[in-house]
Amino acid sequence: MMKLRAQPVEGESPDRWEAQLRKGALEMAALASLWNGRLYGLEIIRFLESHSRLVLAEGTIYPILNRLKAEGMLTSDWVEAEAGHPRKYYALTEPGRTRLRQMAEAWANFAGGLSQLLEPVLNHQAKDQSNIRAAETMELSR
Amino acid sequence: MIDTMHGDTVQIDTYLASLRTDLGPMTLSERDEIVREISAHIRDSAEEGGVSVQTILARLGSAEDLAAQYRDGLLIRQASRSISPLKLMRGSLRLATKGVFGVVVFLVGLFGYVMGSGMVLSGMIKPIFPAHTGMWFQGGRMIASGTQFYIPEPPAHEVLGMWYIPLMLTAGSLTLLATTFVIRTSLRVSQRWQAKLSPGA
Repeated sequence: MMKLRAQPVEGESPDRWEAQLRKGALEMAALASLWNGRLYGLEIIRFLESHSRLVLAEGTIYPILNRLKAEGMLTSDWVEAEAGHPRKYYALTEPGRTRLRQMAEAWANFAGGLSQLLEPVLNHQAKDQSNIRAAETMELSR
Repeated sequence: MIDTMHGDTVQIDTYLASLRTDLGPMTLSERDEIVREISAHIRDSAEEGGVSVQTILARLGSAEDLAAQYRDGLLIRQASRSISPLKLMRGSLRLATKGVFGVVVFLVGLFGYVMGSGMVLSGMIKPIFPAHTGMWFQGGRMIASGTQFYIPEPPAHEVLGMWYIPLMLTAGSLTLLATTFVIRTSLRVSQRWQAKLSPGA
């Protein structure tokens, strides 16, 4: 598996910046995956894959869960599964729920503010793309 | 078929053994717990089907990297709860290997501890070398402070006298406390930024 590397460009490249952004959101995402009930490690990974665009190096989630548990945000229990081997299930504690609520509020405020700021940029981009499409259509019709 | 299964088992065993070894500084029960969980992950992934054991292990990342993430988490967590300058500086040194933020925290910590202990030491030395230790002013500006081998010549004059002792002990202690607080807070904040992501993210 490849690893993220700093790219030798001036300033910070968008890819690197996006990765940093995702890193910051990962703890919140791990807590959020447990909002509706307990899950084990692989279920958390699959949940994040299907409900968010946070594609993880799968091993990454386990040290995070370990730390969140050490901080008292999560509890864990080994449960004997029908499959025949035990699985370690994680669940949110009350402090974990409180922290997640605070993080979610802060995130919503932050994202809301930025969305307004970026609206003209995104609209401009959409306009540019429709202009390109129109030009291509005209070219084809000639 | 049997050869393939045997090969898979060997790969998994090697991975888990390497993980256990690399988790070195952690307690035996912590290591057992981690290895048991990663082992369950590998079995669950294999039961999903469609991918080889090699792919499952590759997706997990190398055993060394995975163990390093656990170890870093532990080191930084322990340091963030400690008041020992040694542990705090070890934690911030580990953080410094991860990016600019860590380097800044380490340098601030180093500066704060050197400055704070220098002040405290200087306050303690004053009774032993009273004439050589103090704060000298000349023309309204401070020209020297601390313990000086050569005493500044007049018209420079020492302004604090024996007040230098409580003043330096207090200022030094406050600097040490503030440095401890800054490093602990930074280490706690940094724990939320420790994850690695795949490049396809």
